[in-house]
Amino acid sequence: MAAFEQHMHPKPTTFISKYIISYDHKVIGKQFLWYGILGLGIGGMMALLIRWTLAFPGEAFPILGQFLFPETNGVVPPDVYAMLFTMHGTIMIFYAITPILIGAFGNFCIPLMIGARDMVFPTLNMLSFHFAVLSFVLLLAGLFTPLGAAAGGWTSYPTLSTLVGSPGIGQTLWTMAIFVLGVSSTMGAINYITTIIVLRAPGMGYFDMPLTVWGLWLTAILNAIFLPVLGAGCLLLIFDRTFGTQFFLAGAAATNGVGDPVLFQHVFWIFGHPEVYILILPAWGMVSDFLSFFSRKPAFGAKATALAMTSITILSTLVYGHHMFTTQMSPLLTQSFMTLTMTISIPSAIFFANWLGTIWKGSIRFTSPMLFSLGVVFVFGLGGLTGLYLGTVTTDIYLHDTYFVVGHFHYTMAASVLLGGFAAIYFWMPKMFGVMMSEMWAKIHFWGTMLGLNIVFFGMMLVGYAGMHRRLYNPFVYEFLEKTIPINTWITWGALIMGASQIIFLISFIYAVFFEKEKAGDNPWEVGTLEWTIPSPAPHYNFDKIPVVKCGPHELGNPSLTGDSDFQYQTEELVQA
Amino acid sequence: MSFLLTPAVAKTGDQFTLWQRFLPPEDISENGHLIDWLFNYTTTLNVFFFVLVCAGLFGFSFLYHRKRHPKPYYTYGNKKVHITIATVIGVAVFLGVDLNISRISNNDFMNVFAKWPGEDEDIVRVEVLAQQWMWNYRYAGRDGVFNTDDDVVTTNDLRVPTGKKIVFQIISKDVIHSHFLPNARRKVDAIPGRLTRMWVKLKKTGVYDVACAEMCGTFHYRMQAKMTVYTPEEYQTWLEEAERLALETNDTEVADNYWGWKWNK
Repeated sequence: MAAFEQHMHPKPTTFISKYIISYDHKVIGKQFLWYGILGLGIGGMMALLIRWTLAFPGEAFPILGQFLFPETNGVVPPDVYAMLFTMHGTIMIFYAITPILIGAFGNFCIPLMIGARDMVFPTLNMLSFHFAVLSFVLLLAGLFTPLGAAAGGWTSYPTLSTLVGSPGIGQTLWTMAIFVLGVSSTMGAINYITTIIVLRAPGMGYFDMPLTVWGLWLTAILNAIFLPVLGAGCLLLIFDRTFGTQFFLAGAAATNGVGDPVLFQHVFWIFGHPEVYILILPAWGMVSDFLSFFSRKPAFGAKATALAMTSITILSTLVYGHHMFTTQMSPLLTQSFMTLTMTISIPSAIFFANWLGTIWKGSIRFTSPMLFSLGVVFVFGLGGLTGLYLGTVTTDIYLHDTYFVVGHFHYTMAASVLLGGFAAIYFWMPKMFGVMMSEMWAKIHFWGTMLGLNIVFFGMMLVGYAGMHRRLYNPFVYEFLEKTIPINTWITWGALIMGASQIIFLISFIYAVFFEKEKAGDNPWEVGTLEWTIPSPAPHYNFDKIPVVKCGPHELGNPSLTGDSDFQYQTEELVQA
Repeated sequence: MSFLLTPAVAKTGDQFTLWQRFLPPEDISENGHLIDWLFNYTTTLNVFFFVLVCAGLFGFSFLYHRKRHPKPYYTYGNKKVHITIATVIGVAVFLGVDLNISRISNNDFMNVFAKWPGEDEDIVRVEVLAQQWMWNYRYAGRDGVFNTDDDVVTTNDLRVPTGKKIVFQIISKDVIHSHFLPNARRKVDAIPGRLTRMWVKLKKTGVYDVACAEMCGTFHYRMQAKMTVYTPEEYQTWLEEAERLALETNDTEVADNYWGWKWNK
């Protein structure tokens, strides 16, 4: 129900008002998309440098190496290696996946899919992007400081991240960047939550929202609750670094009074575990929608899927302790966190059942968004099941901080979310830019990515089980890891395949946005959600007249339909048998 | 940057089959098999459920391809039978996998890994001080009291006997480290300002790696100690010799040598 009238202002005319200080949620969405793709590129290059070092320790990185590391003849030095994996993790999580899934598609899809003309707070929305840019600048500035960028891992545990372990300004800049990004994301989150509550088109109940919107909404709620917690932790860390406080200092460095480094881990993971779901929930929502759209039948148990996502959202706030089993908390806490962690599998199993139920007896069209969605089901299955080893405390004692963990969270956060993001890009391309991307290249991109990522991330789990622990510049100084050298080399080849596939994507994307002549139709995928009722690309202020919603988002394949189309728009009265 | 050239790769010259490369390091502890067993058990259950997911994913993709199945079955999945099946799957996974492995893991944890030896048990006590980037070990010496002149102190050189419980009390001087014994499947963080502990009982002699598993700075990868596992007799011989040497050579003037603490019962 529209709580207030949504005004339409005249179109911006100058370049700056159109693309730089735009209030339009669609433009902000596109800004976030480019920003995320830039982050993906930088983070991906760093990943290749890391992989090269692990596969060929002590050998010069080809071509770029001589230019980047002249004093070591092109070999990645160990301090730079630490900066690389720190920045890789940070950039991929906060500056690639978050902006693509939440920034770009949250902004772009929410008003369009709920039938609104814009967000509730357009200025806040614009500021949220500007803060994100500021944050990225702060983060990258660290690379050019005398002692280099932050090098304490993306988790930045004190006391390594305090002056004891990182005297350079890079770590301070990292912490400030994360704080500013927290501000940016919180502004976005408040906007999403409010928009979804007050601006849903007349007639649209919560269960009439597409599951994409459900996913984005739950993500925004988690963001609004937990990003401030991370912000608080970062602020205390900045105090420790610059004002001489001792919140996180202990041991020899705690000269007056004693803080507790483990406190930061609590603060970090109270945010950090929900963060995993913050990243994956939008992808789950999109996948649930796409599977229904391209199977040409309603989403199986859509209400149950929405409720399962909600219960996961709630449970995700209660389980963070499983990241800290090796800090030796009290056995009672260990037991509680283990059991709570395990309960997450109930809702997960339910929506796996619903996903398979959706494609069951469908009429599946293997378009690019569908392929990527099926890919998400596959990789998230692997990622989710391997989480069991890490949730049970005894196996975690062995596997904690090994590459098994790295493989596991790359499957859940990197692989699933990335594939979900690509599905979204291919799917909403016509509505965003008014063109379609090449289906053939999309399929090559898909299979290349799937092949590469499974080699990389499954290989990581294998070497992790063989005992290789994380963040080692040269793991092979350990005798027991020497046997993993060949596997590490294969992983690196897999990473190169994956990287090459993304180049295909990038070329295809840029070609489609700037050079594609053929305009896409208004509704190329033939689905009935509100954004497909308007022209492509979406016009200024989206809806000339605010639509009235009369049926659910997944009305496909209704046998009582007469006429050519096999779907109904949400603005149409549901045809009853 | 000469350290880049020094042993980049440890060369043992061992040959491995492909399968052996995937296996964890040899288990030399009395209880490590519990962890290996639970891993394999979980893997079995996981493979079962993942095969089910794949069967659905690939099977449905094949069967219900647009060409083979042009007319979709219009359903919201809200029939009683649908809801029942989804619920049964959810509950089956929870009871069959999750609660099952949690119960086993919990039993192992409470009855073995977190069950500390009693005061009257004959154990080997070792104090561990982690620092960037090395492991310091301290044995109580002849008087059985820590932080006295006769303590045996070693660096990156842990020597322990088989057949006896070895209890480590661990602390860090600077940043967080993690004392990782891959061959015993055990690790625990070394945290500044907070004592953590770990116990193992070993059954096989030899020289093994001790690693740092928590990122602790640039040379994290070099924070490696060697663990020599002796038979009880050999250990006794070594210990006596080390205690004698300790009394002779420990410099009582240097305050830094007294980083130990009263054994925390």
